[in-house]
Amino acid sequence: MITQSKTSRRNFIKGVIASGAAASSSAYMFGVSGCSNQQVSTGGVERLISLNVNGMTRNVDVLPNETLAMTLRYKLGLTGTKLGCDRGECGACTVLVDGVNLYACSLLTHTARNKQITTIEGLESSDGILHPVQQAMIDELGPQCGFCTPGQIMSAVALLSNNPNPTRDEVRRALSGNLCRCGAYDHYINAVMLAAERGI
Amino acid sequence: MAFNLIGKNFTPPDIYAKVTGKAKYAEDFKVEGMVFCRLLTSTIPHARVSNINLDEALSMPGVLGVLTADEVTDTDIMDNPILTNHPKFIGQPILAVAAESEQIAQDAIEKISFAIEALPFTVDPLESLFPGGPNARMEGNVANPGIEPEEVKWQVSDFVAAGENHLPMGSPSREWSYGDLDNAFASSVYILEESFVTQGLSHNSMEPRTALAYWDGDKCILHASSQSQSFPHPGVASYIGITPENLVFIAEFCGGGFGSKGGAYPYVAIPALMSKKINRPVMMRISRNEEALIGSARPGFQGRARLGFDQNGKMLAADLYIVQDNGPTNGFNDWLSAGDALSLVYTPNAMRFRGIPVLTNTPHRGPQRGPGQNQIANAIEPMIDKAARELNIDPLAIRKINAPNNYSKYGGAQTSVTSAYLSEALDQGAEMFNWNERRQRSGQRNGSKVTGIGIGTAYHSAGSNGFDGLLRIDTDGILHIHTGVGNLGTYSHTSTSRVAAEVLGYSWDRCVVERGDSSKGLPWNLGQFGSNTSFTMTRTNYAAAQDAVIKIKQLAALRLGGSIEDYELQNERVQHFNDLNLSLSFAEVAQIAIDEGGSYSGLTYPDEINPMTKRAVGHLAGSGLIGVGRDNLARSGSVAALAAGFIEIELDLETGDWEIKDYVGIADCGTVLHPLGLSHQVKGGAVMGIGLAGYERHIYDPQNGLPAHLGLCHSKLPTYLDVPSEMRWGAVALEDPENPVGAKGIGEPVQGCASAALLCAISDALGGHLFNRTPVVKDMIINFTAGQEQSYGPLQISSA
Amino acid sequence: MAKDMMPAFELYQPDSLDNALELLSRFGDRSWIVAGGHDSFDWFKDRTKYAQYVIDLNNVNELKGINETSEGIEIGAMTSLTEIELNDVIRQRYSLLSDAVSRVASPQIRHIGTIGGNLNQDARCWYYRYGVDCYRAGGNSCYADTPEGQNREHCLWGASRCVAVSPSDVAPAMVVLEATMVIASANGLREVPAEDYFIGPNIDIERMTVIEPGEVLVSIKIPNTWANAMFYFEKVADRNTWDFPLVNISRAMFIENGVVSRIRMAAGAVECIPRRLSVVEQVVAGSELNEETAELASQAAIRGATPLNFNHFKIPLLQNLVKRALRA
Repeated sequence: MITQSKTSRRNFIKGVIASGAAASSSAYMFGVSGCSNQQVSTGGVERLISLNVNGMTRNVDVLPNETLAMTLRYKLGLTGTKLGCDRGECGACTVLVDGVNLYACSLLTHTARNKQITTIEGLESSDGILHPVQQAMIDELGPQCGFCTPGQIMSAVALLSNNPNPTRDEVRRALSGNLCRCGAYDHYINAVMLAAERGI
Repeated sequence: MAFNLIGKNFTPPDIYAKVTGKAKYAEDFKVEGMVFCRLLTSTIPHARVSNINLDEALSMPGVLGVLTADEVTDTDIMDNPILTNHPKFIGQPILAVAAESEQIAQDAIEKISFAIEALPFTVDPLESLFPGGPNARMEGNVANPGIEPEEVKWQVSDFVAAGENHLPMGSPSREWSYGDLDNAFASSVYILEESFVTQGLSHNSMEPRTALAYWDGDKCILHASSQSQSFPHPGVASYIGITPENLVFIAEFCGGGFGSKGGAYPYVAIPALMSKKINRPVMMRISRNEEALIGSARPGFQGRARLGFDQNGKMLAADLYIVQDNGPTNGFNDWLSAGDALSLVYTPNAMRFRGIPVLTNTPHRGPQRGPGQNQIANAIEPMIDKAARELNIDPLAIRKINAPNNYSKYGGAQTSVTSAYLSEALDQGAEMFNWNERRQRSGQRNGSKVTGIGIGTAYHSAGSNGFDGLLRIDTDGILHIHTGVGNLGTYSHTSTSRVAAEVLGYSWDRCVVERGDSSKGLPWNLGQFGSNTSFTMTRTNYAAAQDAVIKIKQLAALRLGGSIEDYELQNERVQHFNDLNLSLSFAEVAQIAIDEGGSYSGLTYPDEINPMTKRAVGHLAGSGLIGVGRDNLARSGSVAALAAGFIEIELDLETGDWEIKDYVGIADCGTVLHPLGLSHQVKGGAVMGIGLAGYERHIYDPQNGLPAHLGLCHSKLPTYLDVPSEMRWGAVALEDPENPVGAKGIGEPVQGCASAALLCAISDALGGHLFNRTPVVKDMIINFTAGQEQSYGPLQISSA
Repeated sequence: MAKDMMPAFELYQPDSLDNALELLSRFGDRSWIVAGGHDSFDWFKDRTKYAQYVIDLNNVNELKGINETSEGIEIGAMTSLTEIELNDVIRQRYSLLSDAVSRVASPQIRHIGTIGGNLNQDARCWYYRYGVDCYRAGGNSCYADTPEGQNREHCLWGASRCVAVSPSDVAPAMVVLEATMVIASANGLREVPAEDYFIGPNIDIERMTVIEPGEVLVSIKIPNTWANAMFYFEKVADRNTWDFPLVNISRAMFIENGVVSRIRMAAGAVECIPRRLSVVEQVVAGSELNEETAELASQAAIRGATPLNFNHFKIPLLQNLVKRALRA
């Protein structure tokens, strides 16, 4: 079952924090200057936040308009999460947020504060043992060009945590929000079924 | 032939990176001091831009520079310019802005003002051919590789003669014919004549063509999204305005291309030129909408076919006219390939082909999987079924009777083929699909649903030659196969490299494929397009391996005595046939090669190899045994990759929805190099074929040229739930005689056979109705079952 | 259309409804509510619409959850579509809703997309989304309803300088279930029946619902009226994922003594609001369900439909969906 049932609401961090204009030392992706209407006003989110990514807590300067995909890729160097469309129409940016597969391009990083974020980089064990889904993807030759692969794997991991023994049809429904232009769907499903068979 | 490596599955060396997120595509690289650039693109389909005012943009904090059309390489004479003040399609880049962040760059673009003069435009070739109709370019409305832009207008009488429902046929740009066409039609028992439209569509690779560039003195380092590694190198260098030696081209991973990234394309030079100007590394991230606009597209066809058959279903006569929607540049030669494809797949006794490529103010057209061949398969295959129905012949039988064989000749030049086993593919597929039994289900009802059964066949010429192979054995005895093959997702960089290992008798775990970065010393290879790699690169690697074999034996004879005929290669050793004591390991041979120098270690090399290969050999010289060679093996005729697809669908007459119950795809690709790789191509091609047949198309509002199909949601790429969860594949696996391991290419016809099969099945479910239009979307099916007229004019292209 | 990268805005993440309302009133028409975000961020990234103050409601927990009440159920507007799809009470008693929700977009979008966001979503006319200066965007023309406008997805009824449709799969289901929308403002709460909640261009061409500036949809009440009815939902779209409906249909019905005692039906994507098929209900109520009734109803359903250049396929499609809804 997806974790967001009515009995398990999460307490989100209080969002109303007095702001200061935090000058960013890593004006990498989003300049402080030159933006439209960057007025200081009380009540807006504070820029320096703590993010829990792949089990590690990181402190990051995050602009209000920054999406999780951009933060992961450009501020945390986690480029496994891809931008195929940046509009929530392809799934290449799929990550797990509290175990739920979401499009990182369509989530403000500030909305993901204090949640457990898992990216493709967080799947293998610290001693380099691949996650069963990753290993099955190799054994069944899941990917072709590989660009959609991280997103496919994240959706598969979310599925198998909730449903360890899916039918083939359940797999394709669970991954349906992940597009593959190379058309590797058949191979991907084979890989997920193999991972399920081997056990997570 | 029995092989140790060829035909076996293997774990490709790049797959670990793909499943862990470690694979780096162009957008994943980060360089110290890197800045970003965004493009200002045209908002109208044909325009002249002037009085560009950059003052406000340049004064914004964080903005580092602007690159305009006057500052880039030869813009005025390039057919598809890097930047332009005279855009010819919506989305064509006019200038680029570099800034500390993408957001600032975009903010700055909003502050740029300019005068824009709207020029006449068109999104419909027939509109342009009509007297007085608009031309997409000032120079004219017809162009193609080999056809300089010119203006062509047909006569009003051409249009009147055709009427509303048929393609007018004015004077063509090209025409060829063979056989006695009039006689052939006169002898035909059944003749049909249909006009048809195949709509253009974008490639929509998952990875947009982002690029990162920076300079190290005179050297430019470029991370690009490219299907090919070596082939684009010289072209990209010339776009940047440097010699190839000064370009480091890195394309280790590519998120799909499908023909749109096969060679050099101009926009890849933008970050390089910007970087040179502002002296910072520049990342140009291309957005999805930009990719749809600048990423090239498949040409559309407005066509007409007249086909004549005898009582057995043999096609005696074919008369084909193609008007091609060619975009605003020279475009591509789909229209010509379509004529060749019809000629080969159905081997009509007599044929005439005519065609004309017409310019429109829509995205640049370039090759897309099976260019021309897959469009014509989609148009003609349902017509074949119509003939079969009229003549009371089995759809399988009619295709077999027309199928080419090894001796067939096709096209205006009557080109021969190296091999063609379409009949065998049809038989194999029919058996796997259980054709005879399934065929009985055609038209079976299940409530509002009806079963449709279809077969599709397609072709692409799939092989080339004359390229250079390069390998190196190091002093540890490891074989390094240097390949200029790109990584578009087919694993052909490795599957074809294994030929070198096969010839040398290497165990695969002692082989390394060197690829993805020109600074590794990569040879000159053809690009990864046209399904050519499996044929071309197996020959190429064979040539390099043969060179190595000779050198190894020569060095053995040199050091151990005897002559090269006395030696054989076994277990990574060179061994005297009679005296077992006379033996050297490959590692030892490598050291001897270094000691001997000359051609053994790459200090000298054959003169006939390409300059790129010469530089690569120079890079490796003195580091081991070098095997290098140009593929001079005999070649004649076209390498025919063919495929047959079989499909069963259930179509709901009330909603226009259809579901694929089963699909079987059979490849005639000669020897199978990599079974799982071929499975990927057959199935992946089928998915893309489902898109081509049932979903994807360009739609333009002809009043203003606005595209209705931007965004992946509007592009309608098939999702998991639009394709069957399981498909089946097979291969004829009869060797091609012009390849040392018997292989041919395959990536393209496996799309066309699926899309054609689907269109035939839809037609079959609807009692044989021909839409004569691709894609067939729900609107069309619903209108037909409701007895309503279709919304589009029969020859309207790029319309809903 | 090739613009990218959201411009800068200020972000507020209130943790209570009162805070949210205060922010809305403070920032007025420069504010924008974000729920799941998919609709909003597309506008911002394309730079077609812009807001200086973005109010993210994802921390307002009091707007989340599904509660049973004495009169039925009440769903918080910020409840995710997936939560609704999987909720036992809804699946047992109001499966029309869970069916409709299950067909929205894609799994990832449903996991964070909210019911409020889905009901309040903006029109999907591709010209409007492209950013042209049409009436709905505050300009003075319509691009879709022109001699050669590419309008296959547009409406059959209710054209009034705008021919865009209501693209929600769930809105017609809410109309069928006789839901009531609970709206909060600084002045308190007001309730609006679903059927009156959605408005067409003839009332206000720039809005899709009755929500006024300063107001927030807080919950949807679904009465017991149609609990455990016989439900039917069908959506026809181009693809089976992501795509908005070409036409969808929702039906709730009770059969007693072999005849239809009560029926309620609505179609989506044929008008700028969910189209209540009252005339179908009139034809069917009190009749037996058979081929003849279905045929008659389907004819009634399409009366007055005014097709555009490219959407007349929607007429037989709607007819067929009505028949199918009455066949099941």
